[in-house]
Amino acid sequence: MGIVVNNVVKRFKRGKGFARHYITACDHISFTIQKGELFGLLGPNGAGKTTLVRCIATLLIPDEGKITIFGKDVLKQSMEARRKIGLLTSGERTLYWKLSGRDNLNFFAALYGLVGKERDKRIDYLLELLGLKDVAEERVEKYSSGMKQKLSLARALLHNPEILLLDEPTLGLDPQFARFIRSFIKEELVKREGKTILLTTHYMDEADELCERIAFINRGKIIDVKTPLEYKHEIPHTEVLELRLKGNLSEAKLKTELGKINTIEKISLLNNQGEATLKIIAQRVETILSDVIELVRNESKILAIDVKEPTLEDVFIYLTGTSLKEDTREAQTNNESE
Amino acid sequence: MNRNRFVADLSIIGAEIKKTAKIWFSYKILLFFWAIFPLIWVIPYIFQGKALVGGMASGPFAQLTGTENYIAFVLIGAMVSTYIFSGLWGVGNSLREETYWGTLEYIIVAPTSLLVILIGKTLAEFLYATVMVAFQATLATIFFGLNLTLNKLFPLMMIVVLLVIGFYGFAIAFAGFTLLIKEVHGWVHTLEWVFFLFSPIRYPVEVNPITKIVSAFIPLTYALVAIRAIILLNKNVVNLWQIVLILLIMDVVLIGGGYLLFNKLEFRTKKAGTMSEY
Amino acid sequence: MKTFFHYLRAIWAENIKEWKIELTYKADFLRGLIDPLVYVLPYLLYGIALVGGRNSQSLEKLTGTGDLITFVTLGYIFIGFLNMALWAMGFSLRKEQYWGTLEAVFAAPVPRWVYALGMAVHSTMHQGLMIALQLIVISLVFKLSVNISGIVPSLAVVGVMLIALYGLGMMIASLTLIFKQGWLISEALSSLIMIVTPIAYPLAVLPIVMQKVAMVLPTTYGILTVRHFLIGEKMGFSVATSFFRLLILCVLWVAFGLIVFAFIDKKTRSSGTLAHY
Repeated sequence: MGIVVNNVVKRFKRGKGFARHYITACDHISFTIQKGELFGLLGPNGAGKTTLVRCIATLLIPDEGKITIFGKDVLKQSMEARRKIGLLTSGERTLYWKLSGRDNLNFFAALYGLVGKERDKRIDYLLELLGLKDVAEERVEKYSSGMKQKLSLARALLHNPEILLLDEPTLGLDPQFARFIRSFIKEELVKREGKTILLTTHYMDEADELCERIAFINRGKIIDVKTPLEYKHEIPHTEVLELRLKGNLSEAKLKTELGKINTIEKISLLNNQGEATLKIIAQRVETILSDVIELVRNESKILAIDVKEPTLEDVFIYLTGTSLKEDTREAQTNNESE
Repeated sequence: MNRNRFVADLSIIGAEIKKTAKIWFSYKILLFFWAIFPLIWVIPYIFQGKALVGGMASGPFAQLTGTENYIAFVLIGAMVSTYIFSGLWGVGNSLREETYWGTLEYIIVAPTSLLVILIGKTLAEFLYATVMVAFQATLATIFFGLNLTLNKLFPLMMIVVLLVIGFYGFAIAFAGFTLLIKEVHGWVHTLEWVFFLFSPIRYPVEVNPITKIVSAFIPLTYALVAIRAIILLNKNVVNLWQIVLILLIMDVVLIGGGYLLFNKLEFRTKKAGTMSEY
Repeated sequence: MKTFFHYLRAIWAENIKEWKIELTYKADFLRGLIDPLVYVLPYLLYGIALVGGRNSQSLEKLTGTGDLITFVTLGYIFIGFLNMALWAMGFSLRKEQYWGTLEAVFAAPVPRWVYALGMAVHSTMHQGLMIALQLIVISLVFKLSVNISGIVPSLAVVGVMLIALYGLGMMIASLTLIFKQGWLISEALSSLIMIVTPIAYPLAVLPIVMQKVAMVLPTTYGILTVRHFLIGEKMGFSVATSFFRLLILCVLWVAFGLIVFAFIDKKTRSSGTLAHY
């Protein structure tokens, strides 16, 4: 077995004095990732994905529960565990900007115990593989964000780890780089090298395209673990009616109005820059279409209507009532000030 | 100048002072720090004096400075240096700080001059430093027996104002300079030490011909001589008219030069587009 | 054995990386070389102004050596290692946090102390360079006179003092991870230690309470013994006593540094603030 996460709980303290409270980032999380499997964690921002990855990577100590990597406890045998893990986090600033790409890799190679010709060969190989050879001697500050992400990926692969933890690997990248990273994960890391991979994302297409099994995670809890296909069968004979509306709408009001139509199963509303996207999951949409339009027209102007087959996101909404595009982080999560 | 514009500028200055003050009070520990540490930093000078002289009064020191009381000498230097720190860090580093907060670009797109904002910061710094110095003076009187009387307050404040007008003018030009360079902290530290070496903050510069000549170009030198003359030698401002005149001339040069330099630097940064880089 | 070499290489890689980053800021690096000189000079000129020359009878009576220039210079040069521990080493983790690289470093299979030693090696080399430069320039301007035979034993003393200061450096480095205003801790500690340590004066001029505090500072023994070897300063205790106490302090400070470091490492990994800047 590759990664075993058993009943992991992680709470964070927020606020001071009387305002002190705890938020639960991971709430009794358990799952097992098989050796050679590409396992996805799909959930909105703030669902607890990154917290979990940090716990596995030995960077965070869980309050309860146990995590093992190929049988090694990440807390008690943390050195052995770290040797098996390659970590990729999202974000621009994870490299030494003032050093060249090669200098960065040389430094981390030393931390992972790589030396001499073996190290040089490995670094050359990775630079070539990721198309960074021509810029290897340039300072990282001159790299585009896509190139920086590729270099981070090279760093994660330096010691040829058995396990890769990829935390939002395509976040903030332009589509071309994101496509490259995805196909690299699929073709190179999974098919050719047979790595065990935990990938977190809030992009449903990414999860759908790459992952063999996906855990839905929302507000610190695992909702379900299934293959993408199994998820889509979760809501049989169901269709998704999607309406694009003008203006910001009140979710509560819409829900009461639409709640009168009893064949509707789930409603989600996402307001974004003066436009709202209303998703209605129902069996046989054509029977409710005119009623919905009638009701919605009283509230706002309809810009577009579409009827779709359910996607992973729709399944997610169906199961949790939360959209993947939402930000479920709590306001208090911001602890910059001190 | 248009009268409405003037009123508008005044209210912007007021808003900037309020903002700066609020930010200080969010770092309460810093208030405590600046009220005490400038004095703590000179304690080694006091013990060094004790060891080298073997008493509290030094004859050779009196020949250079007119007073043999070296403890009072360094304490006064320490208090005045608070204005130097506030000018360099509070004004000189302030635009850097705004870029760090990510707020500088929003200030620049607002329909006001950056200079007006900087004047607001300068006034706020002056008030802040004065409160700190008042606190330090109280401590120095209680713990080190520094002899301060209230009737000297007016002439002292006059010299201090003459000092800070020129010095903050310089600091504003330096703030413009920080828009072009990146490693501002290092520069501020070096400037600090230049002032400590080439003006009589901690020792009489007359002791060495080089420091004596260089210090003659720094207004701080004259201000310190005048302040010490008032406190330690009981001189009044009328006796010190030459120093006051020199300070006035230097103020005019520094304010004018600082203003021109700042405008030039601001223009260059906008052209080069390096304003928001951090 | 393999692990040992792995750690050794990691320490060296850390040192090289720090140098490379430091040297990309060329103007800063050059200014960094001048700063310590400008820092020492006011103390020397002040001394000359007080006694009207470089020889102080009072100092001779107290310490057995009257040359205030050599006395004060040696004191301020070797206290530079305190600032190295408090600033260069003390802020190394904070820097990584700011760069965003701290998590990548901490996820690698090396213990934290290996990383700490890497920063120690770099900051010691850096400070060594500064000290050499200070010594050269000041001796050119003022002519310092020291016993050549005292140099080797002085280096031994400095070596032991350094180890104790690494303990302090580790403690500060970890404290900066939980206190956003970490520079205040460094500033306060540096100011207070520099008052109590007999840098530009002998212990005898300090009030009794401060003398007592000086007795638990490795810098006190370091500087007194170095000056004893180099210019024959009377210490008030024997060289053997000084070494013995310095060794004990060394163990205590390093142990304390490690404990604080381990405690805060655990704390930040529990609270999840490792990556916060």
